[in-house]
Amino acid sequence: MDYLYLDHAATSPMRESIWSAMRNAEEVGYGNPSGSHKISRKAKNIVEESREVIAASVGAAPEEIVFTSSGTESDNWSIKSPFQSSFPTSQDLVVSSIEHEAVIESAKWVENRGYKVSFVNPNIAGKVESSEFIQSIRETTTVASLMWANNETGVLQPVSDIGKAVKGNKKLIFHSDIVQGFVSTKIDFHKHGITSAAMSAHKIGGPKGIGFMFLHNKYKIESYLHGGKQELERRAGTVNVVGVAGFAAAVKEHQDRFDEEVGLIKNEKNTFEELISENIKISVIGLEEERLPHISNIQIRGVNSENLLVLLDLDGVGVSRGSACSSGAQKPSHVLEAMKIDKKDLNSHLRISFGWTTKVGDGARAAGKIINTIKGLK
Amino acid sequence: MRILVAMSGGVDSSVVAGLLKDQGHEVIGVTMKLWEGENGEMPETGCCTASDSEDARKVAGKLDIPYYVLDYTDSFSDSVVDNFIEMYSSGLTPNPCIECNRSVKFDHFLDQANELGCDKVATGHYAKIVRKNNHLELHRADYKEKDQSYVLHMLTEEKLDRILFPLGTISKPEVRQMAANLGLKTAFKKDSQDICFVGNGDYRNFVANKIDLKSSGEIVDLKGNKVGEHSGVHGFTVGQRKKLPGGQGSPKFVLEIDTLNKKVIIGSKKELEEDSFIMGDVSFIRDEIYNNLEIQVRYNSETVPCTISKLDENRVKVQLSSSTTGISPGQFGVLYSNTKVVGGGRIEKRRKVGALIE
Repeated sequence: MDYLYLDHAATSPMRESIWSAMRNAEEVGYGNPSGSHKISRKAKNIVEESREVIAASVGAAPEEIVFTSSGTESDNWSIKSPFQSSFPTSQDLVVSSIEHEAVIESAKWVENRGYKVSFVNPNIAGKVESSEFIQSIRETTTVASLMWANNETGVLQPVSDIGKAVKGNKKLIFHSDIVQGFVSTKIDFHKHGITSAAMSAHKIGGPKGIGFMFLHNKYKIESYLHGGKQELERRAGTVNVVGVAGFAAAVKEHQDRFDEEVGLIKNEKNTFEELISENIKISVIGLEEERLPHISNIQIRGVNSENLLVLLDLDGVGVSRGSACSSGAQKPSHVLEAMKIDKKDLNSHLRISFGWTTKVGDGARAAGKIINTIKGLK
Repeated sequence: MRILVAMSGGVDSSVVAGLLKDQGHEVIGVTMKLWEGENGEMPETGCCTASDSEDARKVAGKLDIPYYVLDYTDSFSDSVVDNFIEMYSSGLTPNPCIECNRSVKFDHFLDQANELGCDKVATGHYAKIVRKNNHLELHRADYKEKDQSYVLHMLTEEKLDRILFPLGTISKPEVRQMAANLGLKTAFKKDSQDICFVGNGDYRNFVANKIDLKSSGEIVDLKGNKVGEHSGVHGFTVGQRKKLPGGQGSPKFVLEIDTLNKKVIIGSKKELEEDSFIMGDVSFIRDEIYNNLEIQVRYNSETVPCTISKLDENRVKVQLSSSTTGISPGQFGVLYSNTKVVGGGRIEKRRKVGALIE
């Protein structure tokens, strides 16, 4: 039987159309997009056409999109850049405590440099209260960051409410990591008052190693990489033409099939949660709040999900316990900790995430496998 | 069989995984994450560093076996590190590797293997499990230079039934050759020596940072007479000769450390020698009549013939055939009958200041 892949929140396989888009980009536009001959122009065209497609998908102008290596790079850039000066000036940073590690660790870096950083905790369902977040933003705050939706729980965050509230605050960059949110919701930066954002291609079936940083055209931040004058002098380094082409192709297919795919994913996730709740005692994290259709985080009290993860893998089911971690061993999730989940339950979580390869019946199959494995454990 | 192999990233456990896979078993590789520094990172030296688990992961990839890093930091911290600090601070010489085998590797890990539906657990230890007269016995490895049976004495017959030590009959050079044949990059990796959770091997400082061992105190003789001063008990271990006052003509040695009263008790070589001692926390591989017993009181020391008499449930008195030095309270005495491990226990303190040998 095929491997049942339910870890799309970590990454999704590449969509079929991306392979040909990338191959074509290299065949036709193998030149350096910064060069001045025909082959370079071809490459440049591919990059700019791709930028238009990608910008349009998030309601941005093409020049507001800078290609980066990853969502992580984009987060680092937006969070850290305003704090690069060697003498701490009186400015501060506000982030939610459930941000992706790319933001959390960047914020800690800022804190270590002597700046004030406010970490705003979520409620027990995993949602940051907009009033609390807005109150943390002071006269001196230059960057505030709240992810569109949490990557471990799928809980949607009140980005739009905050965006509206801070509109007009020209000193503030309101940053949002939309990497996970973009997979199964529609996002329009300008409409939601987002002035900076991080996005990555590989969660929607694009290639790994390419992302973008969005920066509202009224704002400017320090460059991070210095060298050539690529990307309107904002990010040095030869543009990853093949990656960009793959990114655009993924966005295109993702947009075209959005309703169909997300509809199916939603059904499968609902089936999964219903079946598993009927058969074993679990709680679904964030059930009280609006969640992304593709992520389900369940707590199975009394079960060590480390064992569960291994047994499921050996049985041909790929899930995770939280965000992917380089050393492999999973520390208790900072997201669940911030939600004040009991320490003894922190190791009882499983994240199941659906994606574009999900087929009808996968939710039931997943529930069946997990139920059987848990029953075998006891 | 489904076998869980504890992979440290070193050459020994890599070869174990390769061997068992070649024999047709369903092999699952696991690295136990035992310890992490202040910021959650793995230590840079020792036997469970981030780069070691990366090595283990690569070996597993090469062998095409499932591989996981499992989190044992709580269990390790509670039972090994806390114990290390506690022992050290009460003037004992701890043995964290034995403590780790006792309460993590051959306890918690065995349990987890069970939960993961594994028939056996295998490690890269050099020791032999032998079936004889319908019983399982633990023996020294054929390759004497690497024999690790000393640190495995706490196993029981019941546990041996769930364990494999595939390297018990193989020599280290053969292991390296096998690793090279398997194309494993760990083939010529250096053996780890340090205590895995103490970064640069400076365990005294590690302990001194956790508790107050750096206050000055008195150096006294066995009768309790002050013969000098010291600037912290963390600088001494039992049997140590360096840094002691006097001793011209008759060298002095550390006999005991009284952490509570910050005293270092010293005496002559004669006073360091003992011909009997008591062991607590004693365990035996199985209940049987023990003949021709010998005891080993350190990881790499020679055995001394002895007899034992039971004092109570898990304490025994060990009577040596001749007196010897190097018996450190806190260390383990392991009983052998020829190459067979019979059992062992923790050496208890025996001297009291002001009272000459019992």
